[in-house]
Amino acid sequence: MSGTKVLRSLLHELRQAAPNGCIKDSLAARYVLAQYKKFATTEQQFCKARNEATFLGQTYLTYLSSQRQYLEIYKEFHGRGERTVRDTADLVGFKLPSDPK
Amino acid sequence: MNGKLMLGVIRALRVGNCRQWQAPAAGITVRHYASPPKRFYKKTSVLSGDGGYEVVLDHRKLKTPKGSPFVVRSEPLAIAVATEFDAQKEHIERSRMHLSALCFTAIDNPNQLSKLDMVNYLLNFIATDTVLFQYDDETDLQDLQVNEWDPVIAWFNQRFETNLQKTMDITPPQVSEQDKMRIAKHLQSYSLETLHGFIFAVDTLKSIILACAVIEQMLTVEKAVALARLEEEYQLKFWGRVEWAHDLSQQELQSRLAAAVLFVHLNCSENFVKQKLIL
Repeated sequence: MSGTKVLRSLLHELRQAAPNGCIKDSLAARYVLAQYKKFATTEQQFCKARNEATFLGQTYLTYLSSQRQYLEIYKEFHGRGERTVRDTADLVGFKLPSDPK
Repeated sequence: MNGKLMLGVIRALRVGNCRQWQAPAAGITVRHYASPPKRFYKKTSVLSGDGGYEVVLDHRKLKTPKGSPFVVRSEPLAIAVATEFDAQKEHIERSRMHLSALCFTAIDNPNQLSKLDMVNYLLNFIATDTVLFQYDDETDLQDLQVNEWDPVIAWFNQRFETNLQKTMDITPPQVSEQDKMRIAKHLQSYSLETLHGFIFAVDTLKSIILACAVIEQMLTVEKAVALARLEEEYQLKFWGRVEWAHDLSQQELQSRLAAAVLFVHLNCSENFVKQKLIL
């Protein structure tokens, strides 16, 4: 994934993770943008592994997106206790005696 | 006399009532879970002190479960933890906050582990490493393992100058003392906190070779998790994919591994800038 794409996806994930959907004063977004500005020309300003900053960005992106997707699946499938008679009837396509035919 | 009789009747009635009321409830067991703590703060931020960076929830300083103050040396790590706390909705779901949990474990060290304990734990893992156990009864699976796992083993052997060999049956692979010494030397070079992250990565992937490959940036997080689940993915093709089991475990492993990799990287990276002298 290219640097720009990672940045866009990171900001997207941060926006989704933020409680009000706004990252105007989010610390993480500001930090990520500052890092991108710093390494705009090249990442190889420090004696570090090649593409380390991009790798870290990608890893953080994976972290945020996996957590969000995990929560989505969890919310959809986690048990909410016993179903009501109506829910069960809807599930298997039956009608209740009180329903109109 | 009359009064006593009345009392007796009332008591009998009460007992009877009680029994009647309890009888249907006896069959249903009600479980009482501790509810997660509510989100008690509005804003999170990061403070920088002389010992490192601290996370602040409104005006309260974040503390670890043991009660010691939360201080990390890396600024991005503190920012990530603050973001994670900010991302909680109504309740603080501590079991899903892997990055914060890892920081807490590293600060508190609840099992009182020393560096030697952790290195020994990791070394003992080599003999049960996922990628070293391969299977040659099914040719498709065998091809997949040779194509996907063998390059990683080869990379590991080259990088750490070891000679780990895969095994095709239930006998564990032979790990020579020399190989163990070489890997131990590499692991010893990490700090105590970083090793916590390393153990978390190894426990997630069930493989020290894959964990090293991710931390050394040879693989991405997604690829490493896919390699750790290689046989599962292979079997899924025949038996079907169940979202609430397979996808859930994949996402969980990915977020755990990503947390561990971030933790290790942010803990060992210290950069300082040295200016050139201009004469």
